[in-house]
Amino acid sequence: MRTHLNGILTLILAFVVHLSFAQEKTVTGNVTDQTGTPLPGVNVLVVGTATGTQTDFDGNYSIRAEVGQVLQFSYIGQKTANRTIGASDVINVQMEEDAQALEEVVVTALGIQREARTLGYGTDIVEGEDLVKARETNIVNSLQGKVTGVQITNTGGNLGGSSKIIIRGVSSLSGRNNPLWVVDGVLINDAQTPGNGSRITGTRDFANGASVINPDDVESINVLKGAAATALYGSRAAAGAIIVTTKRGKAGEGGGARVELNSSTRFESLFRIPDYQQEYAMGTQGQYDAGSVGFDWGPRIVGQTVDNLPITGESGPLQAVKDNGIRDFFRTGITRINNFSVSDANEKFDYRISLTSTNQEGILPGASLDRITIGLNAGVRHNDKLESRFGIQYTTTQSRGTGASGANDPNIISFASFSSNLDQNLFKPWIDESGNQINLITNNQGNVSNNPFWIRNENANDRDDDRIFGNFQLTFKPFDGFALTARVGADLQDDRRLIENSKGTVGRLFGDFISDNIRRNEITSDIIASYNTNITDDISVNVLGGMQYNARIFERQQITGVNLLIPELFSPANAEQAIPVRDFTEARLFGIYGSAEFGYKNWATLTLTARNDFSSTLPTDNNSYFYPSASMAFVFSDAFNIKSDFLSFGKIRASWAKVGNDTDAYLLNFNFNPITVATGQYSLNNNFPFNGALAYSASATIPAADLRPEEQTSYEFGLDLKLFNGRLGLDMAYFKNQNDDQILNIPIPETTGFAFRTTNVGRVDQEGFEISLEATPLIIGDFTWNTGINFSRVESEVVSLTEGLDRVVIASGFNSVQVVAEPGKEFQLYAFPHLRDEETGRPIIDPNTGRRQAGQATTLGSVLPDWTGGWVNSFSYKGFNLSTTIDVRWGGVMKSSTVEALQTGGLVKETLLNREGTFIDTQGIILTDNGDGTFTRRDNDVPLLSAQDFWTSLNDNSVAEPYIYDASFIKLREVGLSYTFPSRLLGDSFIKGLTFGVEGRNLLLLYSEVPHIDPEATLFGSGADGFGIERASIPSTRSIGFNVKLTF
Amino acid sequence: MKRIRLILLSFAFILGSLSSCDDKLDINTDPLVATSADPNAVLPYVFVQYSSRKVTELGTRICDVPQYISDTFNSPKNGRTSIFLTGNTWGMMYNQVLGNLSLVKADAAAAGPTSNNVNAIATIISAHIFYELTSIWEDVPFTEALNGQEFPFPNFDDQQTILNGVVAMYDEAIALIDSTPSSGVFAITPAGDQWYGGDMASWRILANSLKLRALMLLRNGGANVDAQINATLSQPLMTSNGQAAYLRYSGQPGAQNGMLTIITAFFGPDNESQNVFGPGDPIDALLRDSGDPRYDLWVARNDLPAPGIDLFPDNTTSVLSNNIIRADLPDMVMLPAEIDLYKAELALEGVTAAGNAETNYRNGVRNSITWWGQDIPGVITTVSTADIDAYVNSLPAPTLEDVYNQQYLAAFLQPVLSWNHVRRNQFPVLETPPASNISTILKRFNYPPDEVGANPNTPANPETDVPMWFENL
Repeated sequence: MRTHLNGILTLILAFVVHLSFAQEKTVTGNVTDQTGTPLPGVNVLVVGTATGTQTDFDGNYSIRAEVGQVLQFSYIGQKTANRTIGASDVINVQMEEDAQALEEVVVTALGIQREARTLGYGTDIVEGEDLVKARETNIVNSLQGKVTGVQITNTGGNLGGSSKIIIRGVSSLSGRNNPLWVVDGVLINDAQTPGNGSRITGTRDFANGASVINPDDVESINVLKGAAATALYGSRAAAGAIIVTTKRGKAGEGGGARVELNSSTRFESLFRIPDYQQEYAMGTQGQYDAGSVGFDWGPRIVGQTVDNLPITGESGPLQAVKDNGIRDFFRTGITRINNFSVSDANEKFDYRISLTSTNQEGILPGASLDRITIGLNAGVRHNDKLESRFGIQYTTTQSRGTGASGANDPNIISFASFSSNLDQNLFKPWIDESGNQINLITNNQGNVSNNPFWIRNENANDRDDDRIFGNFQLTFKPFDGFALTARVGADLQDDRRLIENSKGTVGRLFGDFISDNIRRNEITSDIIASYNTNITDDISVNVLGGMQYNARIFERQQITGVNLLIPELFSPANAEQAIPVRDFTEARLFGIYGSAEFGYKNWATLTLTARNDFSSTLPTDNNSYFYPSASMAFVFSDAFNIKSDFLSFGKIRASWAKVGNDTDAYLLNFNFNPITVATGQYSLNNNFPFNGALAYSASATIPAADLRPEEQTSYEFGLDLKLFNGRLGLDMAYFKNQNDDQILNIPIPETTGFAFRTTNVGRVDQEGFEISLEATPLIIGDFTWNTGINFSRVESEVVSLTEGLDRVVIASGFNSVQVVAEPGKEFQLYAFPHLRDEETGRPIIDPNTGRRQAGQATTLGSVLPDWTGGWVNSFSYKGFNLSTTIDVRWGGVMKSSTVEALQTGGLVKETLLNREGTFIDTQGIILTDNGDGTFTRRDNDVPLLSAQDFWTSLNDNSVAEPYIYDASFIKLREVGLSYTFPSRLLGDSFIKGLTFGVEGRNLLLLYSEVPHIDPEATLFGSGADGFGIERASIPSTRSIGFNVKLTF
Repeated sequence: MKRIRLILLSFAFILGSLSSCDDKLDINTDPLVATSADPNAVLPYVFVQYSSRKVTELGTRICDVPQYISDTFNSPKNGRTSIFLTGNTWGMMYNQVLGNLSLVKADAAAAGPTSNNVNAIATIISAHIFYELTSIWEDVPFTEALNGQEFPFPNFDDQQTILNGVVAMYDEAIALIDSTPSSGVFAITPAGDQWYGGDMASWRILANSLKLRALMLLRNGGANVDAQINATLSQPLMTSNGQAAYLRYSGQPGAQNGMLTIITAFFGPDNESQNVFGPGDPIDALLRDSGDPRYDLWVARNDLPAPGIDLFPDNTTSVLSNNIIRADLPDMVMLPAEIDLYKAELALEGVTAAGNAETNYRNGVRNSITWWGQDIPGVITTVSTADIDAYVNSLPAPTLEDVYNQQYLAAFLQPVLSWNHVRRNQFPVLETPPASNISTILKRFNYPPDEVGANPNTPANPETDVPMWFENL
């Protein structure tokens, strides 16, 4: 080995010595970009030699070379320039922007910049400016329709709610399907902690961790989708990675500070209103009941006088209220987003400071969100060898009055909480001077229900969240091509929540509260060494090696206080019982990684990567796991020199990768857990200490001592074409992933005394293809039309579980509806259908009652879409720009409990059919057993008791089938129209740029088969995989507003 | 050369920095849990978790199956029990209760005779749980249950095997108690034993009494258990309410009976104002105009008619009284009236060891009324001993049907026991609910999906009106 190395060094030495004898002179010069700004870091190479240098901060270079030799100047985003050395000792170069290449410099794993042409895997880049055309308060939502291969879901119209993104389908059975988020090279948490410990019992959906990333500060987002793209991130990016690069400082026009103001004001209204019927009043079986809220099976409204109108109890005529008074309850929401930034840069430093305030008032009364974000990003080039950077974002968010959804909570207000003749205005005021709830609603039995304005205004669901994440980076470049980078990043979150039920709330009469303090800290440090060189004219090598340390801590302290003495005092000392809960987990990971990129003539690139992780969550003797990747990019248009007006660029790519995944902390030991809650049905729990006794329970899960890391093997092929001089771009990808050895708590027969066993089990495969098309169909004078279409089809199939195990519950909703994994299928909705005749498929009617009957629980369709797509258009004419985004989700099913409640409550128009006549379920069939194994069939002719009997019996015995819909939808997601004033209009004023725009989000539902509600809504927050189940979600909103952008 | 050295050094440094990572990674121990637990900490979990789930799931749900309550939410009374609705009880019994008890029992057995008391308590509760499991689902894993190492997919045993096993477990527990050494015994704290505060004499009586309960099902099923019944009758059995087994609810937040909290959580302050639980028709029929003091204790507005099967009470009907639907209503596991009335039944059927039928019958009625009117913790409205005696003495000599009816009344608010009585005795005769899609009252639950999905040995579900073996129909 030693001899071998000596030999290489001798050869290199001989080469250097050989050069020193050549006829040389020193050539100097200055390199600028197309605007004349000096370009630092331009590679200057003597063609045909290994001699090279880089320009300094002023764009100056100096190199020794011979007359007649050619100097090659290359810089990312610029066309490579060649200059032959002549008599002059000075060669100044003004480089030209390479329009095609400029857009294709991407930030890949670990913050490494690469030219897109060298990548052997697909990426999707969203520019920061596209995120703020119609701004979102949760950055995840602003990716809707813009990225190929992702699915984004949210829980409806809650302020500060979570949004979930999954990339290329689901790969994990244990809920690890959320991608890794990386901001300026630092891993940040995208976790979401459910509001009150349950995702279905009156759940409060609080934001996912990544939602605080400020779109105004984002330069670009790169979505890394395949394992080859994320392999350098190791185990935590098995579900993909989202790489966020924040804006760096830029100088203003003509030098000096650049000051920008960006201000949006938007107004929100209900996106969709159910088709409420207005003909029949509250009540049951045709009888009026003033307290039958959300149950309109009363008499026909004909102006008759009743002696107890709702709320007031006064005598008066029954009258329908338009749209069930829903507009009198929900208000117009307002969102104001103001961003102010100052940036500056010169050859020595760049600096950008940004301040953003977001103020929202939700459509739900009492709901508001206020957020302030301060961002700083600065870098200093100390000399030609040393650079340092520093970036930090601090966000403080206060959300108030987050709505409850799910079930079993008096605070839930859904579309089914309104009635035809219930005037919401009569609920005001809701509180008297003594603090008691007033204007409640009383039914014929004398039972009272809450005043919804009391619920909204007196029962707060508050969250105060402080978040700091940032990084410090030092880069040392002792000589050309070599860099040593050290980076330390931290993400600190302090999340305080208070969920209250004021004393006097029906259902929580004595008042209670949950005070919840959650802390999530994550620290990541990297040391990366990289070296790139050109071995020959044609062969370049780029090697990189590094080490990463990542530590995550989650800590939660929760106090539940029950039965308050003083009504509005939410302190443990004011509660008759205080139940404390503490939770803590810590996980650490070491990773060592390396990559080698071999380029040939800039048209072929082979990249090999390797990483080895060591995880604290795995057994100490089995905690090391290695994963390699290989990818190849081949620009055939250059290789075969077949560029033409038709084909301007063509690349094929292929990649293969094997990555691993560790698991959660503390799965290896058998424990007895201290218990504070003895659970009961309907969350009617008891607590310890109980009669003076503390309690411990054995873990219900048998731990695994021999856990192995999860394993994902993936490959991908892609084709990237640019046609018609770049006017049409086409990117296609086919991929297949195999996810083995999933670490899962598999259910075992509870009759063994345990409920689960942690083990490596099962396999999930993802297969799909993506097409992305970008085109400029029209350029006529000043008019330009750009259009982009993305389409992706992914099938995530559960290939196997384990022997004897039919299915695994992924998420469970109320009313016997579950999301399950069953071999041979995608994630399925599992619920009760009606009992159906095998021959005709029609529901079998009980001849005694005329009602449908329940069948056996079964899988009723995939909860994941068949395909998703987006269509983004941008029309520019002089200063005008019109952009639109259409978002499509096609296939999959969802179950809506809101629709179920609307129909069983007789609230919507379809329930008007035969209200007062004989009601026969004509879809049904009656089977008579002939006793010989055959049946006689006849159309159902048995009437139900009433239309009410039909609709209210449809879900008897937990049947969910009538409320399961095709979840497909097409939405007009975004429209933005802006006008940028030409500089001549601004003259010499201090204003350098002015853009005025109108913007709208979530504007139209162009197609959906789901009645009454927004088909996007889901019950579960981003922290769970409960796709396809909706229950009493907070209604989603349509927002329209305007935007002003000023540059000084 | 220098450059290459620098490059190599850099990479070597990065590699070298990993050498100290092992210590940093050795953190995978949860600081907030224990690796072992004292029985005084595990048993309270078992007592309270069992009761919390039972009262809220079975108590509020199947009490309209034996029809002592007129109607409930999500009831399976109409025949098709949603397979999802019974899973929590199944999990509570096998995992939360039996799972923990099997660990307690194993530890106690390893500790030897000084922990016989702990072992006996775990054995008695386990046997009681198996009795309830077979009462709800009939065939359930018993011989292969709770031994995942040997039987990862336990087979299901028939009801007779399970009940015989339950009887044997009570015998085992009694033997453990009888062989407990006189000193050095593990100290069970008053809070650790939520039923008897560590009083093993009471546990012995309970074991014998619960054994009689199981033998009565075996007897009804046709098994020849006369000798075992005679032996059981010769051992101390429950005779007074002071020996009753129940979980005491203080009524304070976090320690409230679910029969009330279902009302306070979803409706309003109490049952009488919110009309949630109404008396079932058989209760109304047996008590109205009978002079039985329990009518006034249990039923408010009892001059009005009962709501009727499958109907909730309203202001035009009677309703269960706030006397009993209250936060500190104890969760009753066994009351002595049940034993008295078994004895009365056996005596009427010629079992001499059971004593005098009429005496036992009157004792049973007296014990039951005294429980509700005097002895029940937190009693609100009391009935004087004189009034009780006057009523009891006025009763005619009982027929078997009278005994059955009193067994039914004495099992009020004990959902599984009451259901067993009406299935075992066929008295009171219960009407099939009007909207039922089976031919009788509900006879069984379906197996829950978690077990069906995870255990390939789970049998197919019979229809829910198929009688269990013990009904002997």
